[in-house]
Order: sequence, then C-alpha cells, then structure tokens
Amino acid sequence: MQLTLENVRKEYGETVALGRREGERTRPSDVDDEGSVDSDDGVAFEVDDGEFFTLVGPSGCGKTTTLRLVAGFDSPTAGVIQFDGREMSGVPPEDRDVGVVFQNYALFPHLSVAENVAYGLKFADPPEGTTRDERVASLLELVDLPDAGDRDPDELSGGQQQRIALARALAPGPDLLLLDEPMSALDARLRERLRMQIKEIQSTLGITTLYVTHDQEEALAISDRVAVMNDGRIEQIGTPQAVYRRPESRFVAEFVGDNNVFEGTVVDIRGPNAEKRPRSTSVSGESPVETKGLSGGDSEGVTGNKSGEETANGSGESSPERRLVVDVDGSEIHIVTSTAVSTGEDVVVCVRPETMRVRNVEPEEGGDDESVGDDESVRSDESVKGDESTATPNLLTASVSESEFLGDSTRTHLRWNDRELTVRTDDPISGSVEVEFGARDVHLVERLTERRRR
Amino acid sequence: MSGPRRGNDSSPASDGESGRGRSGRDDDSGRGGSVGDGDSSAEDGVGAVTSSQPADGPPPKPRSARIRSIAATVGRRLEARALAFGAVVTGLVLLVVFYYPVATVFVDAFFADGRPTVEPIVSVLSSRFYLVDIFGFTAYQALLSTVASVFLGLPGAWILSRFEFPGRKTLRSLTILPFVMPSIMVAIGFVAAFGRNGTLNAVLTGVGLPPVDLLFTLEAIVIAHAFYNAPLVARVTTAAWESVDASAIETARSLGASPTKAFRDVVLPQLLPAIAVGATLTFVFTFASFPIVLALGGFQLATVEVFIYSRIQNLAYAEAAALAVIETVISLGLTYLYLRYEGRKRGSGQGARPQPRKSLWPESRAAKSVGTRIAIVGYALVVLAVFVGPIASMVLTSLTGPQGGLTLDHYLFLLERQQTGASYQVRPLPAITNSLRFGLGTLLVAIPMGVVMAVLTTREFRGRAAIDALAMAPFAVSGIVVGLGLLRGLVFGVDVFGFQLQVTGAVAVVAAHAVGAYPFVTRNVAPLLGNLDPRLVESARSLGASRVRALVDIELPLVAAGVVAGAAFAFAISIGEFDSTVVLAEGSTSYTMPVAVERYLGRRLGPATAMGCVLLAVTSLSFVIIDRFGGRYGESGGF
Repeated sequence: MQLTLENVRKEYGETVALGRREGERTRPSDVDDEGSVDSDDGVAFEVDDGEFFTLVGPSGCGKTTTLRLVAGFDSPTAGVIQFDGREMSGVPPEDRDVGVVFQNYALFPHLSVAENVAYGLKFADPPEGTTRDERVASLLELVDLPDAGDRDPDELSGGQQQRIALARALAPGPDLLLLDEPMSALDARLRERLRMQIKEIQSTLGITTLYVTHDQEEALAISDRVAVMNDGRIEQIGTPQAVYRRPESRFVAEFVGDNNVFEGTVVDIRGPNAEKRPRSTSVSGESPVETKGLSGGDSEGVTGNKSGEETANGSGESSPERRLVVDVDGSEIHIVTSTAVSTGEDVVVCVRPETMRVRNVEPEEGGDDESVGDDESVRSDESVKGDESTATPNLLTASVSESEFLGDSTRTHLRWNDRELTVRTDDPISGSVEVEFGARDVHLVERLTERRRR
Repeated sequence: MSGPRRGNDSSPASDGESGRGRSGRDDDSGRGGSVGDGDSSAEDGVGAVTSSQPADGPPPKPRSARIRSIAATVGRRLEARALAFGAVVTGLVLLVVFYYPVATVFVDAFFADGRPTVEPIVSVLSSRFYLVDIFGFTAYQALLSTVASVFLGLPGAWILSRFEFPGRKTLRSLTILPFVMPSIMVAIGFVAAFGRNGTLNAVLTGVGLPPVDLLFTLEAIVIAHAFYNAPLVARVTTAAWESVDASAIETARSLGASPTKAFRDVVLPQLLPAIAVGATLTFVFTFASFPIVLALGGFQLATVEVFIYSRIQNLAYAEAAALAVIETVISLGLTYLYLRYEGRKRGSGQGARPQPRKSLWPESRAAKSVGTRIAIVGYALVVLAVFVGPIASMVLTSLTGPQGGLTLDHYLFLLERQQTGASYQVRPLPAITNSLRFGLGTLLVAIPMGVVMAVLTTREFRGRAAIDALAMAPFAVSGIVVGLGLLRGLVFGVDVFGFQLQVTGAVAVVAAHAVGAYPFVTRNVAPLLGNLDPRLVESARSLGASRVRALVDIELPLVAAGVVAGAAFAFAISIGEFDSTVVLAEGSTSYTMPVAVERYLGRRLGPATAMGCVLLAVTSLSFVIIDRFGGRYGESGGF
C-alpha cells in the first residue's frame, strides 16, 4: 500500500507542531530540481508499497505527530493523507487498516497474550483457510514467542512485550505498519537485536512500514529510506547512505552520525579537475568500504553523475567537478565538489571523522598509533590512497581535549581554532596532533546565500 | 556485506503470513535497494525501494466480508451514538427522579398561590433565629465535626501507612465500613453506649464513678459524626501517603533536611490535598446530617435538616422549601470545592515507591521510639471506644433485659411483631425483604448511571465542569427534600401531557436510593478511568474497534474493581438510607429496616437495638460479599 502525505500541517491552537512557521527559513528540501522554492507549508513524502520508511529527528520535531495523523488518532489542520490514492480525512482509526506499535507497547493487561494478539481478529477475518487460533499461533511463532500465548502481559520482559505488540498489530493483516519509537524503552543490546528482527519480519511480510525514532543510528541501520525532521519540517529524504554521506543541510549533517561541520567563505575556485573518477568503483557500484583513518573519499564523484533529490542544488547531469578553497576562520579547506558556487559565497561543508587521519605531533605520553614522530606536515605516501596524489590534502593542527574509548575505536575530541573537531583513532591520544583529509572527503552541505534568499 | 534481503529465504512462518492479498510479496522480483545495496542501485537516483507490484490493485473483498462490513457500518453508527444515548438516558432519569421532584419542593419557596414571591426566602434570610440558631448552629457543628474527624483520622492514617503489623490490610479495608453503616444504626448505637442507661454508665457505675448523661449534647453529635467520617479521612490520607515516592524524601535528606523537615517539605504538601478532600466531604455530609442529630440532639439541637423535617410534619411547606433552597446553595458550593480538590488529587503517582514501614514494636529503648508506640496504644483505645463501643453497646443492649440480665426478649418481640402485627404496624420481615429488594433495584439503576457519568466526566468537552456539578447535585440536596418531592410529585401522580404519571411507593424509594447512590459509583470509577493509558484505547481502535467497543472491551474491564467497589457502596447506602425513605414510607408498606428501627424506638431501647443488630448483620454481610466478589479484580481506587 502506498502512503502519500501532501502539505500536511498540524496546529494546536497557536502552536505549530507540523509545518512551516512564520518567518521560517527555506530548507534545502523546499527547493526542487529546478531551483524554485516550494511554497507548501506542510510536510510531504511518499512511502512506496513494502518500503521501510523512517522519520527520524530530535524530540519535538513532529515525527510522532505525523505518525498519529497517519494512524487517524488526530486530524491534520491542513493537507492530504492518502492510502493508495484514497483520501483518509474523516476516516476513523478503526477503518484505516493500520497496525500500530507504541513505545510502551500498550498491551491490554486484562487479556492474556494470545487474547491480545487475537483482538484485532474480532474485526477482521483471518486469511483464507486459517482459523483465528491458527493465525495467532503463526504470529506468535513469527515473533519467536510460540509458547507465550497463555501468559499475562505483565509476566513478559520488555523485549517480549514489544514483540507481542508487533504480533498483535500484524494479526489482522494491515496494509500499513506504524511503529512509534518501539525500542526506546529497551536496553542497547536488546535494541540492536530486536531492530534486526523487526526488519526481517517486515521484509518477509513486505508490509509498508512507517517507523519513528530519535535514534539516528537505528534509522540508518534498518530503513530503506529516511526522512530527517526538525522543528516540524522535513530536512531531507533519502537512503541512509545518501543522508549520511551527502547531507543537504547543516542540521542533517550534525544530526546524523558524528560530523565536523564548518561554515566558511569560498575564496578560490580551481577549474574542472582531471580526476573525475574516484578510485574504486566496485562491481556492483557499491562505494568503497570505509574504515577509520583512510581518506577513502566517498562517491563524491559519482554524485556528479546522478541527478537526484539528494542534491539540493540538483545541478543536473555531469556537472564538472571543481576544487574550491574555503576559508574557515583563516584556515584553508580544499573541497572537491560538483555543485556550482561562486567566489565570495558562504557555504557549509562537513568532513566525517572516519575520513580524517590523525598523527600525533607532540605526544605527551607514549603509546599511540599513527605517530610519525615529530615531523610536521609529512605526507606519508602509504597513507594516501590511489589518485589522491595530485590532490592537496587538507592539514590542520589541533590539540586533543578529550577521548572516549568505544572499544573498536576511540572518539577523540580536538580543539582547533576555537572549534571542536571529532576524529577516530585506535587508542586514546593526547597532545598536539595533525589532522589530514583529502579534498574529496569534504562534502558541500549547503550554500548559505541560497538559504538566506526567501 | 550480503546482498539485499530476499523474501524467499525467510523463515517458514512466512508462508502463512499472506494476510490479505499479500501473496505477491514473497517473491523477490525487484525488491532491490534494501539494506546493503547502498545508493548505487543502477537506475534510480531516487534510491528508493521498488517493491514487487501486484498485478492489479488490491484484491477484492470476499462476499462475507462485504456483508459484514454493511452490518458493521450500521452497528457502528449506533455505537458512535451509544455514549450520547447513554448520557441522554441518564439525564432523563435524573430529571424525572431528582430534578423534577426537587423542583416541586423548591417551587414552594418562590411561588405562593401561583404568583412569584420572595417572601419565604427573605423571611428566612432575615430571621435571626434561622440564620444564627439554625444555619449558624449547623455550620458550627459541621465545623466541629470536621475538626474532630480530621484529628481522629490522621493518626490512623499515619499508623496505616507507616507501620507494618499483622492484620494491617484487613484493618485498611475495614476503614470503609463505618461510612456505609446506616446512620440510624449509628445513632442507636451511640444512644445505647452513652445514654443514661447505656454501657458507658454501666461501666462507670461498675467502678464506682457517677453516671454521665452525654446524650442530647453537642459533644455526642460531634463524636457520632467523627465515627462516620474519621475513617474516611484516614482512608483518603493513607492512599495519598502511600503514593509518596520514597526517592523524594531520600533526596531531601541527602540535601541536608532532617526527618521532620523532610516530612514537612516533601510529604505534607502531597498529603494536604487528600486531607482537604476528606475534610470537605466531612463538612458536606455533616452539614446535611439528619438521623444522628435527630436521635442524639433532639429538637433542641436542631440542624437545618431536622428543622426542615419538623416544618414538613407541620405542613409548613413554604418555610421548609425556603430552608431547603438555602441549604442546597451552601452544599452545592461546598461540593464544588470538593470536586476541585479531588481533581487535583487525581492522577497522583502510580507506581511510586512508598517508604519502608516500621514495626509496631519499638526498635530501640529511645524515648521517642517508645513514646510513639505508647501514643499508638492510647490512640487504639480511643478508636475502640469510639468505633467498637457503640456497635458493641447496641449488640449488648439488644440482649439486655430491663433488669440488666441477658435475655432474648427483644428478638422475640421482633418475631412476635412479625406474626401478629397489624397491617398499619411495621413488621420486621417485610422490612428486611424490602431493604434487600430495594438494594438490588438500586444496583440495577445506579451502576449504569454511575458508569455513564464516570465515562462522561473523564472526557474533555465543553461544559464538562457543569455536567460534573449537575451530576453530583444529589450529594448536596437534602434527602428529605428528595423524598418529599418524590412523594408529592410522582407518588401522588402528576399530569404529563394529559397522562397521569404515577409510580408506586416502591419505585419511588428505589429512585431515591439510586439517586443518592450513583455518585459513589462515579467517584469510584472515574479516577480509575482517568488514569488509564490512552494508548490502550488507541491500540484497540487501530486494531479495528470503534470508540464504544474499545470502551466496553478495554476500559470497563480495567476499571472493574472500581465498578465493584461502587456497587458495594451503592448497595450499602441503599440498605441504610433513611432520610428519603422515612418520608416515602409514611403510611405505606414500603418501609425498610432503618425505618423499622426508628419505629421501634420507644422508652426502651431493646426492640430498636434488636432491629439495629439485624440491620448491622445484613449490611455487613452484603458489603463483604460484594467486596469479596469483586476482590479478584484487585485494589480499587477512589474511595
């Protein structure tokens, strides 16, 4: 079943929970391929049949409000919600054929687990050839709790309750599955296990799913597509990879994963580069595997060949790549991009920590990796991949302020020019460091002049 | 990383999961673009998932589903209106058995010979006698009673919530019992205990002290009121105390507060609303108190109710009506106050971790520790005197002959009256059967009304506060007025559009009882209903249940404990109802046990106390049965 939202707004009295507010700036998602600004005041997106679509954003961004509007628990102040083209305004929840899983599961405490799962079957027939009991049993098996039928909901653990809530929602065979932060009440380990289970079940059944979470890592891990929301509006819609690697607004760049985001002014533009192709286009078109410390650069180059919604200023097909020099607080950052900019423009750029290489220049104590002694600005050839040899890597000097050992890597916070940088190293380090990254590792997020233009 | 997920290698359980027309899903045509594919899928810049497209739209619904859906639509239209329908019916019932009868009585205060007049009201308001001696005294005794109830009840609350001892839970449940005791029975018990020939004097003379005559004093009235209401205060305060989270207190202590300061700053603010609720209720009830004042005060210490009764017996209807109007206005104001406090109290922490309890045995030799235990013992003795005393006295008196020896004469009198009583006399067995019949009738009417009102008051809609107040009006209106109104209105017959509408005395009695009882059902159900997680209802609706269906399937079962508690209340209140019944039973055969008790009151207490014991037995038994029956639904909220 295809879900469509067009220009949906929700206001509670004076407060705008969903939709553009007075005097709000244009977001990149408001600007379409031709560069004209969308005048819609509300939220719009489409979920294809069988797609796992996630709304992700911080508290108060309107994601739960959106879900409730789709479920029919509230009505939109304006806008259209369509299921397979049928308008849903005025249709009460019981007629919408949706399954809902809430954050606190909301299992009926006075019914047994089996009775909970069977509840929706009072209003809908089980599929041809199965009885109600068989249906309940098969769903309990699907969520891996075949023996829980006779128990009471309060005897189950949080993770088990959540799975029963899912079974209950799926029993009547709804067209749409809605999940409102179902993992929030669970511990981290359980969350990771269960989200894979949910994804697997969803895939198996092929049911159109709208998922709401504030956990961006979770959103990236299980979604087919993601809509990043902020303050009642959608900032960007795209696949997890697109949203991660090519954020289109400052908010998305900062919200999704760790990132180093800078604002600066374009001071120089150097012509189309010789190297248009990134080094390793693998067979299936997968981007090169990224590990920390390697300036793999991403498929920046591929972007230039794709027209698409992810590129805010859809520069169309094959726009030439150029190297820009952006002045950030007096330091120069080189970036390769195919977005058309002009000198003097203010831009926002970002560099992912895992693409930055860190060398300890003045270790305070022993034991750190990647230390190349006291030489400054040595570009070790072995650390630079492929055809980066002609690209001038960016090089910054910073000092370590804090380290967080995460097990498989260390998230290190650096102080540079009164800004904070985040990088990844193997072990905690300290002292002064050099940070190096290629021009292709930098992504142009947005052009501020366009943003300011209303 | 493995390739995109395909449907055909999933778990076996998928085979049964086609659901409605979903069989197209399980093949793997074009389900590319899912996890692992990255954004480099060949053709789409969209990067979206393309899914297997069913060949032609959604599958057609089978015939049975179509018929079902037509029936469902019709049923749904009805259901959607069901709540409104229930509200209208309840409103009509209230109109007929409460508002109309009461209006017919009030009318006498405003109309004389068919013309509007302010004379009755003005004469009351300008009379010093009425204002000071009657209303003033009523308010004064109510105030004293409230203070006494609070003072008597709070230590009980402290003991019940802070100490652990065997029988604590039973004691806690018993706190509701005095409240549902028939007031006439309490009056009799007090007379038996504190009267000239009562047990107290028997004890005093037994140890050589002079006898005291406590009857017909303000003190007796106040103590009797405290009997009724102190347990209520204790109960409500205990509930609030137990919902104070220990973490809050521990935090205060860790920040430097002494235990006393922590109590004052953290616990007390949370107790005050509950205490206010108990105090306000006590004031409302004692303001309109009737049998107790009648029995223990006589006409010298007359409250408004007693005076209204006497005016009615003298057929001075205008005066009685004027008094009733003013009394109602005062009570309504107080009831409104009560509702405000109760609203603030509602929704106090579920799942709070209460403080750990102390043992009754002193934990150390310290003066404070031992001192508190001694104080508790003292309190227990007072409680015994106030609560057990009258009841025990009543039982004892029913078994005591004129000479002081034990005898069954009084019970024999009951039997004899039953056999040989004339038709105009009150006989015990009909009184008992009537009481039970009326009790059941009350349940049948009060439970649906109370539940409907509870549902209405937990929904947000404009004018809700007004509906709330209107529905609680029976709290505030004198039972005598209700009885009189029903008598003159429906029982004598009324002309409605040319039809003579007349009800029998029995129906009128049930009506009066139901009107007095249903607010208790509401007050027991509404808090539970209000505390339900709204997501439970939303889940039910998303699964296909209409709003009413969700109410019936999900909400009502979860508040069953409250419904049962309300039912126990309603039954007990019906059994013990006196004010309206005594008016309606005048000269008819629809008398009940409390009326019989009053009738048997004579120079000797014997027969009345015997009847009172029967009443006590029936009340306690039925209350325990209903409470036990509903006990499997768990603890109830509300009262």
